[in-house]
Amino acid sequence: MVLLRDGMCPGLDEGLVRGLRAADIKTVEDLVSSDMEELAQRCSVSYKALFAIRRVLLAQHAAFPVSGADLYEELLSSTAILSTGNPSLDKLLDSGLYTGEITELSGGPGSGKSQVCFGVAVHISHQLKQNVIYVDTTGGLTAGRLLQMLQAETSNAEEQMEALQRIRVFRLFDVFSLLDCLYGLCGGGLQRASVGGGSVKAVIVDSVSAVIAPLLGGKQNEGMSLMSQVAGVLKTMAKDFNVAALVTNHVTRSGGGGGEVQPGLGASWSHIPRTRVLLEKGGDVRRPGLRSATLIKSSRRPLLIKEEFDLKWWSRSKEEGGGAAAAASGKRKRDETDS
Amino acid sequence: MQRPVSSFSLSPGVKVKLASAGFRVTADLLHLSPPQLSREAGLSQQEALEVLQAVRSDGGGGASMSALELLQKEGELKSIVTFSSHLDAALGGGVPVGKSTEICGTPGVGKTQLCLQLVVDVQVPQCFGGVEGQAIYIDTEGSFLLQRVVDVAAAAVRHCSLLVEDEEQRVAMTTFTVETILSNIFLVRCHDYVELLAELHLLPDFLTGHPKARLLVIDSVALPFRRFEDLSQRTRVLYGLAQQLAAIATRHLVAVVLTNQMTTRLRGNQSQLVPALGESWGHAPTIRLLLQWSGSQRLATVFKSPSHADATIQYQITSDGFRDSDQSACSQPGTSC
Repeated sequence: MVLLRDGMCPGLDEGLVRGLRAADIKTVEDLVSSDMEELAQRCSVSYKALFAIRRVLLAQHAAFPVSGADLYEELLSSTAILSTGNPSLDKLLDSGLYTGEITELSGGPGSGKSQVCFGVAVHISHQLKQNVIYVDTTGGLTAGRLLQMLQAETSNAEEQMEALQRIRVFRLFDVFSLLDCLYGLCGGGLQRASVGGGSVKAVIVDSVSAVIAPLLGGKQNEGMSLMSQVAGVLKTMAKDFNVAALVTNHVTRSGGGGGEVQPGLGASWSHIPRTRVLLEKGGDVRRPGLRSATLIKSSRRPLLIKEEFDLKWWSRSKEEGGGAAAAASGKRKRDETDS
Repeated sequence: MQRPVSSFSLSPGVKVKLASAGFRVTADLLHLSPPQLSREAGLSQQEALEVLQAVRSDGGGGASMSALELLQKEGELKSIVTFSSHLDAALGGGVPVGKSTEICGTPGVGKTQLCLQLVVDVQVPQCFGGVEGQAIYIDTEGSFLLQRVVDVAAAAVRHCSLLVEDEEQRVAMTTFTVETILSNIFLVRCHDYVELLAELHLLPDFLTGHPKARLLVIDSVALPFRRFEDLSQRTRVLYGLAQQLAAIATRHLVAVVLTNQMTTRLRGNQSQLVPALGESWGHAPTIRLLLQWSGSQRLATVFKSPSHADATIQYQITSDGFRDSDQSACSQPGTSC
């Protein structure tokens, strides 16, 4: 769907473009799919010139096939796997978040989606020393909580500050701002955000359903198109810039209140993330930080495998987390003093 | 990367005209001037100008900041104390400014009382550890009782005057009286959801004109939506409402407090008391408090919070307002209000 413009290729000048427009040829597709002889006669231009223009345009706009072996080599050299910092979650995700892909976390309110996003951001910025872009659409991001989690990883204040500087936060609340932000990142924002030697390795959008859900359904017809655009730009960004995209989604209950939970945004969105994880609160009242994660879509691991982890001890697995740890990364209990 | 024209916030009619004229991506438009664009796409001069402005604007998604800068900004924001030290501790200092908090509970448990307490507490002068801001109270139930506010305000003034230690606090007390407290509360009465949505649309302009506003209370957000016929439309409207409230809280540095009612959820043979407005609404507020009865004791539970673990505390409602239970209002000098 590329418009014909003068200067696109040698021989395509303003006069010829106008002539073609008059003959109802507006885009490159129209030109290459129309009859050359008839067109040459109608626009009173030589057949040879038109044919040459057509050949150049085809060369410019055609896609060239790539062999599987080349693709595989490229994938091996460019894909990275980012550990989330939590051993149970890593086991579920087959070692962590893959760059070039979108991973989705869904769950009900209070199930821990934002907490997992914080943990991932902190781990990548502190342990892996790479930059993270965090897009917050719900207002749930508290830098104090990020600092709390960092303080459990290291007691060096300078390292904590450095890690915080590697996390770049965007706070926006509607879909057009989100699109502006994502396109801006693709158009150079990612390079600008790479501070301190590292490059941006993860883009976290919490949550993508909060901005898209108000637009779906009813008499509005823009919702699906905007959802596809968000999906498209996220995927392109993940692939072209080798970042791992992590998004969060809400859940809906089928059967009007009594049925199964399933991730929101419907069937159209379900094709977009490569891996989907459903988070639920563990039922144990004595361990309020317990969460269970179920894999509901994956191309690498069997479905419906479950892992449990405790939000209080992000870096330790469930077996180790049972013992009381003095320096818990957990949320402050209410009897600890404020720092 | 090529950005399609349909990803901009333009009216659908304009988008259709641009698409039928063949303009799909921004690259097609950038080199045109407004008269050229209006001629080629059949738009009016004004529409063409708007399109080109939208397409050419730098749009990096607005301001971004590093987490370190965000931490510094958060350090400057105070929380609104509730005069119940246990609840303040469970919330990490009080109701946070810049976030949305929801209070759920059955009728009569004290949701409106807590809101009235907060509306007075937000005005406590900064030298006493308060936020010294104004409050906006959107009342959909008709439960705002002026006499009760006067009682709570008088108790707060009495409490603070007992804590006066230095000259600055003495001066502040002259401006912290029942009359000034009442004059800093803006009351709006909304009778249905249309009025509520209209009020929220007008609120950003109002807040820009009143930069000292620090608290927005909507009591209750559930009532206008309980009588909706079309549930899917209700869900959509609530999602939009949630985003508007989040934007207001973040951009204008306002603590948004909502009250919600309870409803029964039936699952098989069992029924359970859950907050109203559905599962999807639960994602909207950042912090959720549940007020409930346990025998004759009132309990408050924090069951959703980004930085604090779930906790349950006891409280009571006295003639002075919302207080800790089995304990008269703290009167020791030096303790925070």
